[in-house]
Amino acid sequence: MTRAFLGALGVALAALALYPFFGTGYGVRATLQIFMWIALAGSWNLISGLTGYVSFGHVAFFGAGAYAGAILVAKVGWSWPAASLVGGVAACVLALVIGYPCLRLKGPYFAIAMLGLNEVLRALVSYFEGLTGGGSGLSLPTLDATIPIYYVMGVLAAAVTLLTYLIITSRFGLRLMTIREDEVAAEALGIDTARHKLYAFLLSAAGPGIAGALTARDQGYIEPISVFPLAMTITMIVMVLFGGKGTVWGPVLGAVVLFVSQEFVWARFPYLHQLLFGAIIVAVVLLMPRGVLGILQMKYRLPRTI
Amino acid sequence: MATAALEIEGLRKSFGGVLAVNGVSLRLEPGRIYGLIGPNGSGKTTLFNCITGLERRDEGRVFFNGQPIDGLKPYQIARQGIGRTFQVIRVFPELTALENLLVVTQGDRAAAMERALELLRFVKLEGLKGEFAGNLSYGQQKLVEFVRMLMRDPSLILLDEPAAGVNRTLLNDLLDAVRRLRDQGKTVLLVEHDMKVVMGLCETVFVLDHGEKIAEGSPGAIQMDERVIEAYFGR
Repeated sequence: MTRAFLGALGVALAALALYPFFGTGYGVRATLQIFMWIALAGSWNLISGLTGYVSFGHVAFFGAGAYAGAILVAKVGWSWPAASLVGGVAACVLALVIGYPCLRLKGPYFAIAMLGLNEVLRALVSYFEGLTGGGSGLSLPTLDATIPIYYVMGVLAAAVTLLTYLIITSRFGLRLMTIREDEVAAEALGIDTARHKLYAFLLSAAGPGIAGALTARDQGYIEPISVFPLAMTITMIVMVLFGGKGTVWGPVLGAVVLFVSQEFVWARFPYLHQLLFGAIIVAVVLLMPRGVLGILQMKYRLPRTI
Repeated sequence: MATAALEIEGLRKSFGGVLAVNGVSLRLEPGRIYGLIGPNGSGKTTLFNCITGLERRDEGRVFFNGQPIDGLKPYQIARQGIGRTFQVIRVFPELTALENLLVVTQGDRAAAMERALELLRFVKLEGLKGEFAGNLSYGQQKLVEFVRMLMRDPSLILLDEPAAGVNRTLLNDLLDAVRRLRDQGKTVLLVEHDMKVVMGLCETVFVLDHGEKIAEGSPGAIQMDERVIEAYFGR
């Protein structure tokens, strides 16, 4: 079973690695987008799926990474790979500053605080025009790097998924889950929940930060509304809930299925797609709150590493 | 006199206008089993919460093996060697019985696994190690919570109503386990409403009423104490 799975995974990875050589331009761009969503949904799963602290402003890290990367490329003249790494670091620094006070908040208060953070960042970016270009945006020097970015984003998506696997199979991961299950009991057992939450939060910020910087480079132009949209956070959440929160492959499944169906519906029924997306959210929450893999896991007693 | 396992001096805690614990002092000698009884709302659980750091006391001091622990965070107090169970069961429902115990450990995984399995065997739950704790029966969950608390090998054990909702056979196993822990030199303080359990197990009993300690002594003496009878049955 494990062998067959690893074999299939190897074939899939090889196919994805070769895809840019024979795929269409549209196909490569769409796959690049799927990689991005896997990285984003997988990162959200690390903090919210494991510890139960629902981040409603996770796109803030994407936006922070996008601006950090874009400024380094456009104003300082850095190469995009280095700028992307700094985008990840910038998001982690932000997570440290924000997480320290906000992770003390419970339930809806944390969710709202994160939503607020995103709005504050968008306002700040609009205000500091000299550095960010303000509301009129920031253009990067022209460069066609879609294919290298495709590979880097693919590695990022794989890295986030691998990290999730390593965390979930470790006792550190189990301790993160105890926070979701019963934070008071975890504390009484000697688990430093504040520190664990902060670590999970830092790990969950790095991926979106790098993805933001890569996306900024790929698109060549960013503005506050394009990198801090609330809709992006909601999409991450829906992908994870659909696939199965707290699992390894749930975010991957959610990202692929929802992105592909969205593209398909988008192309055929441009007016219906918002409605259908909303209907999917309602259906998932009502009918299968554990997501596809969560249900399979419960029904067939599968390990958490699916 | 040797250092007390736990010493509480003038502990006071109020919630709004309610004085939950009003100047309680008590002293636990190492290697003994103590009972804490009192009518509902007399402050027993609040006292537990103040000892373990879940509630911040308003006034008073708490010493564990002679060292002050008041003001420390709950996880720091737990790491010093105070384990507790809760009145309402608090297992991690979506973790397996074995994982419930493993989370507490760090370092050598094989040794941790061995200790966890040994403790599950101790309460005859080894066969259910892979089951989600949330799927176990009430009594089994209670046992998981009990041995999970032992993973850190605490020297002071606080049990909040261990007998509630547990059948006789299971209860006798649990009480035997508590006695064996005492024989290993651990100190036990338990809140319990079941007087049979308290009388049969505890060497000293503290009685709380309206947040104040109204009596302290051997189970026999406590049963005869007029203030205690008054607190329970009214004048």
